[in-house]
Amino acid sequence: MIAYNKTWLANLRLQNALEKDKLKGHITNAEFKAVADKYPVGFYTPGVFARVGLFILTCIVVGFADGLLTLMFASASELIETPGWIFLLAILSYIALEVIVNSKHHFRSGVDDALLFISALLFSVACGMLFSHYNTVYYLPISAAIFVLSLYFSIRFVNILMGAVCCAALLAFVYFTWTKFIPSGMATIPFVIMLASGGLYWLCREYGKHKMLADYQNCFIMAQIVFLLTLYAAGNYYIVQTLSNQISGQPGRTIPFGAFFWLWTMVLPFVYIGFGIRKKDGILLRTGLMLVAGAIITFRYYYHVLPLDTALSIGGVLVLGIAYAVMKYLKEPQFGFTYAEPVTEDMMDHLKVESLIVAETFAKAPIAPAEERTRFGGGDFGGGGSSGGF
Amino acid sequence: MDHLYENLHADGLISDESFEKIKQKQDLFSVHWEIKTLLYLGVLLLTSGLGLLIYKNIDTIGHQAVLALIALICIGCLAYCFKTCFPFSADKVEAPNTAFDYVLLLGSISFLTFVGYLQFEYKVFGTNYGLAILIPMLVLFFLAYYFDHLGVLNIAIGNLAVWMGVSVTPKQLLLNSDFNSETIIYTYLVLGIILLTGAYLTQRLNFKKHFKFSYQHYGVHVAFIALLAGYFFYYNSAFCFLWILGLFSLAWFIYCDAFQNQSFYFLLLVILYSYIAVSSLAVRVFMQVQDEGALYLMLLYFIGSGIGLILFLVKLNKKIKTS
Repeated sequence: MIAYNKTWLANLRLQNALEKDKLKGHITNAEFKAVADKYPVGFYTPGVFARVGLFILTCIVVGFADGLLTLMFASASELIETPGWIFLLAILSYIALEVIVNSKHHFRSGVDDALLFISALLFSVACGMLFSHYNTVYYLPISAAIFVLSLYFSIRFVNILMGAVCCAALLAFVYFTWTKFIPSGMATIPFVIMLASGGLYWLCREYGKHKMLADYQNCFIMAQIVFLLTLYAAGNYYIVQTLSNQISGQPGRTIPFGAFFWLWTMVLPFVYIGFGIRKKDGILLRTGLMLVAGAIITFRYYYHVLPLDTALSIGGVLVLGIAYAVMKYLKEPQFGFTYAEPVTEDMMDHLKVESLIVAETFAKAPIAPAEERTRFGGGDFGGGGSSGGF
Repeated sequence: MDHLYENLHADGLISDESFEKIKQKQDLFSVHWEIKTLLYLGVLLLTSGLGLLIYKNIDTIGHQAVLALIALICIGCLAYCFKTCFPFSADKVEAPNTAFDYVLLLGSISFLTFVGYLQFEYKVFGTNYGLAILIPMLVLFFLAYYFDHLGVLNIAIGNLAVWMGVSVTPKQLLLNSDFNSETIIYTYLVLGIILLTGAYLTQRLNFKKHFKFSYQHYGVHVAFIALLAGYFFYYNSAFCFLWILGLFSLAWFIYCDAFQNQSFYFLLLVILYSYIAVSSLAVRVFMQVQDEGALYLMLLYFIGSGIGLILFLVKLNKKIKTS
């Protein structure tokens, strides 16, 4: 099923696990090397920057190659205006992908990523063209086709992004089926999506850890995140109201069960966080923390209790206070929690991502009044203009 | 998972001693990144909140209270930093604790807000606006070096650009920049050269060597974009080839430097920027030929050169990994 060499995938998992032990000092370098020699990994997997470069270049090559083919056949026939042509291009990319993976042993090298995304994208576009007739788009078959396609890609290429698309497409399929075939579908759809997401999340969490599925660990993590997000979104007050307004065509209508949806909007993130802490589940914890922001934004959209500046200041103080309290509390590890830095090398250190984010977000700190002309050095030209930046 | 170590141990790949260590290990759940994100968010919210608050309340009595509060935060944060920091050194100095970096960040940003407000309301620097940016910038550079803080250094570099009348952060570089003006192109070029010189000196003088990345990161982007912009600006005169020449010499310099430092990030940047330059020259040649065949040739050029570069990158990656 999996296009990649399964022994190597297993060996890679082993090496990754032992690498952490090596960094923590549980095993020596010589031992790690001995294990790595006994369980070798033959994939071609370059570093992250090479991967980005190869991804970009592959996109350029495929794009121009497709352009060349289209140009060559453009004069010959009207073939290129049909979905069949896109299908053909998708199949060509797919063949290239299989060749690269099977004969060159590329694994997450950028080349296989790019070919995978391009062919998935072309297939989806072709399906979209196939199932739309002039201005009518038939979403039900499109979502079904994308689901089947991304499911195949995630199973064969163990790709996380395809996994996420697959989950989203499945829920879209449920949505369109339910609203089309059930008479009062529109009124019940939030609950159906809630049930579907919740159930699927539970399935992923419960059975994703099975030994048989060891290669798909990351896909299941992604699936859990997607389903947790959709579980929340299905009951979010703003989303439910916007949807029901769009269907009924009257804006500003209050929705039935409003109190229930408000409760869902405000409380669910904290339920996630609570369970995340209790089960030591990073996915639940982090998703919950993210969704707190969603809950606050939703609330502020409807109730302007405080002006923005005061709200921001108070929020900042609160967040800093919480962080300080947690740090104080975890000075000594408590209940298996610590705030010490984990000993893993990751790409964030290489790119110094944090400092770049700081520079990007604080670049607009109010430092001087707006309309002014700066003078460059002792020179004689003012360089203000549109790129003054404040 | 335990099975795995037992097997490895039985095969003699892991010594008894290490096996004991692994058995003893307890996996703690680290909330390190959550805490850091919260601290960062807190600083972001608080500084933007206070920044808005003070400009909204200008001309009321309330704003002086806010001003005092900002000054208090600034002084408090910086005092804490001076008190707890480790002694200065030309090498990398670790922060004494996790919160330290964010306290310093809060102090620096509130300092910026404070000075900006003083200038806005009381015209401390008069109409000498350059000075109003220069002084906070110098203070930021001092703080960044003294406390060894990359984030503050990056803000200082951003301020340097603002002082020169341009901007370096990627978003503004891409969205707001107007490369159709000679002045701006030259300003960017000078800025890029200053930053790259900074990067070079940082390493050469062995003074805060780990700051090199920040200077080089901004310097490379700004310099290459300026050179490309210069080329397109003078597209119709022979002068444009001088810019391309400059671009290739810079590319060669950065390429050697990146190779020496084993930095694939900068290698990739050099390759991509040079590829853009070469391709624009190639397209120029193909456009001269008014023929349909030229179009095919152009497409073939992109396909061929793309595949060639892919093979080159793969080879380069192997070279860097093994050396």
